[in-house]
Amino acid sequence: MTTEEAKFILSAFRPSGSDAGTAAFGDALRIAGDDPLLGAWFAQSRAHDAAIAGKLGQIAPPAGLREAILAGVRVSGTQRSIGLGWGWLAGLAAAAAVAIGVFSMRAPARPESGTTELAGFAINDMVTEKHGGRGEAAGALVAELQTRGARMPGADQIDFEKLRDTGCRTLNFAGHDVIEVCFARDGAVFHLYVTRRDGPLGDSVAKGPSFIAQAAGAAAVWSDKRFDYAIASTAGIEAIRRLL
Amino acid sequence: MNDESFAQLVDAHYAPLYRFALSLARNGSDAGDLVQQTFFIWATKGHGLRELSKVKSWLFTTLYREFLRGRRRDSRASSLEDLPPGEREPAAEDVDRVSKMDAALVMTALQTVDETFRAPLTLFYLEDMSYKEIADALEVPIGTVMSRLSRGKSQLRVALESVESLGSRVLPFPGSKGARAS
Repeated sequence: MTTEEAKFILSAFRPSGSDAGTAAFGDALRIAGDDPLLGAWFAQSRAHDAAIAGKLGQIAPPAGLREAILAGVRVSGTQRSIGLGWGWLAGLAAAAAVAIGVFSMRAPARPESGTTELAGFAINDMVTEKHGGRGEAAGALVAELQTRGARMPGADQIDFEKLRDTGCRTLNFAGHDVIEVCFARDGAVFHLYVTRRDGPLGDSVAKGPSFIAQAAGAAAVWSDKRFDYAIASTAGIEAIRRLL
Repeated sequence: MNDESFAQLVDAHYAPLYRFALSLARNGSDAGDLVQQTFFIWATKGHGLRELSKVKSWLFTTLYREFLRGRRRDSRASSLEDLPPGEREPAAEDVDRVSKMDAALVMTALQTVDETFRAPLTLFYLEDMSYKEIADALEVPIGTVMSRLSRGKSQLRVALESVESLGSRVLPFPGSKGARAS
């Protein structure tokens, strides 16, 4: 197999690394491991793929599309006209939602929105930004996080201001601070993101952990009385699940 | 299929289907129509599918077929006039470039890639589909998928450079989320 042939095959290697054990990539991966130039090309290519996947994953469907799909199928059965655009149905669904709201104001809101947003933010940051800059307080937290079997920290163990002031990496999400702490456990790297519960997501993040997988990586999102949390990793959902 | 099961199916797939449709149709309205039409076809025909593991592939295949059918029917179908002019290898600065770009700009760049390459690229990046799964979804041979991924990535790199140079002249896409590092 030539270098060009290996490049051709490795172009189909998924950003998540899911193809690592696939026989079709075996020879190309071995050559990339032996050839520094090809290895560098492959690393560059994977980083680029992960960055693109992370960005594209941020594109959200327009508000009302889900409701339009459900309403469209429900009200029309098999007689829906092909020519009707979803905007018309979105209007119908919105009207229906208003009507439903009048009669069921106590109906719970769908809790997934904040969870999905925070997971998307965490995965995108993980794959597109440089990480590091741990301060003293973060260092202590990192040591605890890296201890095998240790549970993720809760509200009582996190001093948000101290973490921020001592140089832990701080991000901005919709105008609010999100603190990131990177740590490794069992050979995998994880990125813990913490933001105040009075931040942009309000109380839309569920308490129990939700697991979300995207092409570029996976994340778990949960909350407690003071904070919303996300853990992102390219190691997959099962690796994250073992932390919680 | 009852209402609850159908709602679960929609929840699981409508967002990735929309992103796939947006990359193909290149505007939100047509993308929404395609997703709507895909679930409508599922409601009338697809629920007879016996293998649940193939639902995702079935939905993407159906959406892609509907897109191709619509293009044949609609004289407004997108042309290839925006095809990037060249191909090139990945460079060190490419990752930084993408990291600094808004998600909408990345989608804009993807939308300028030749349609033949755009569909497999979207499934590769957004759905983490393997080349075999992409081949199934688009109903093309495996070798063709690998070739299209390789050439499509080349085109996308050129397109990303182009849209970056356009900068603020590119209209913001309403569905993208703003998030930046401080």
